[in-house]
Amino acid sequence: MSRNEERLARFNFQERAIHWLAALSFLYAALTGLALWSPRLFWLASIFGGGDTVRGWHPWGGVMFSLVLGCMFRNWAGQMRLDADDRLWLRQAHRYATHDEEGLPEAGRFNAGQKMLFWTQFASTLFLFLSGLVLWFPEAMPRSLRLAAILIHPTAAIISIGGIIVHIYMGTAAVPEAFRGMIQGWVRPRWAASHHPKWYRELKKKI
Amino acid sequence: MSLPHTVAKLIDTSSCIGCKACEVACQEWNDQEFTLGTGGSYQTMPDLAHNFWNLIKFNETEHDGRMAWNMAKYQCMHCVDPGCLRACPAPGAIVVLPNGTVDFNHQNCIGCGYCITGCPFDVPRLSPKSSKVYKCTLCSDRTAVGLEPACIKACPTHCLSFGRREDMLGKAERRAGQLQADGFQQAGVYNPAGVGGTNVIYVLAHADRPEAYGLPRDPRIPWTVWLWKGPLKWIGNLVLLGGILGTFLHYVRYGPRRVHDEQE
Repeated sequence: MSRNEERLARFNFQERAIHWLAALSFLYAALTGLALWSPRLFWLASIFGGGDTVRGWHPWGGVMFSLVLGCMFRNWAGQMRLDADDRLWLRQAHRYATHDEEGLPEAGRFNAGQKMLFWTQFASTLFLFLSGLVLWFPEAMPRSLRLAAILIHPTAAIISIGGIIVHIYMGTAAVPEAFRGMIQGWVRPRWAASHHPKWYRELKKKI
Repeated sequence: MSLPHTVAKLIDTSSCIGCKACEVACQEWNDQEFTLGTGGSYQTMPDLAHNFWNLIKFNETEHDGRMAWNMAKYQCMHCVDPGCLRACPAPGAIVVLPNGTVDFNHQNCIGCGYCITGCPFDVPRLSPKSSKVYKCTLCSDRTAVGLEPACIKACPTHCLSFGRREDMLGKAERRAGQLQADGFQQAGVYNPAGVGGTNVIYVLAHADRPEAYGLPRDPRIPWTVWLWKGPLKWIGNLVLLGGILGTFLHYVRYGPRRVHDEQE
């Protein structure tokens, strides 16, 4: 890599700030949530100031994450619509995972996997937020709602955390340079052409 | 090895006169600040409260066309299989003492309120002041030194008794038999099996209609609580550990996705 290598802007500052605010509030809500999930994971509470603190602040972490995710939705929802190519891609996602990509439809700015993660997080956060409100104020809520919320909240959390585990892996170890795209905001043209060819060609056209 | 014997409280509703001595004794012993409930009823409070753990419900009913009061002292039932404990995430916040008492340990309680949802009898209450949950302790601070609970001590009609669980069950059966001989054919003992039995046992003159005493017919730990703390927990563990292990193995097997046609 030469020092003067060409740089392509991947994510602007506003997109990156929202992404990392979401990441931090998600990590806080997820780890404190796991502390409340089972007595065996309660030791996590001691890292975050003890049980009382976690019970008091976990809901605010969730509210923060929900708000930031709302901003992210405004940023990206339009670009996250699945097209015909994406659907074809998803049906053969296992080939992407095993690096056998011959004949796979090309990705735009976001590939179909990233789009699915976006919609999964959006849906699970909606459920987490609503059921979280019920669990936050148990005595103000009807019993039937509470009985539903104790199932909905952890189910949505399991789906959400499961998705994020894969997301963190993809964004760090599995796809080198993707991390720099989200931290410093730029990628090499070659990287773009390989991972997001449709997006790369669009950018080239504009220049 | 001999285990300490399990204790139980017996409430013979047929000899309760609604004097509320048990309520006063409970408030006194536990040093509760008294907050008067809303009026319009002989009942002291509309319901249990974080600072009111023992309530005589004045259930107005009709028997053979005549008005009747089914008075029933209401408090924590000290279930053998406590739903509150199943739901609690904080280790040591809810404990079952060797004598069967279900006790809350407030140093460990975080005030999440899950126990309120887990309880089939709707007993625990959150204190807005301390943000902790409170309920009847079966006077664990008295029973620990060989005293009976305060409510038992105060009862003037001996409608309340306290002792070994087997003894109390025997006494309850005998009293129910007496009531049957007196013409209350449906008299019986309330010791619901759905929660493994309770350490607070009732004798009801109309045991076929526990609802008439403000008691649930077939209390059970809610199935959503069972699903939440049972299978869902394993699914969660599987997704968490499977996700971490799976991505790691993927890296070991396939490695990173490199940029194609790169000469470096």
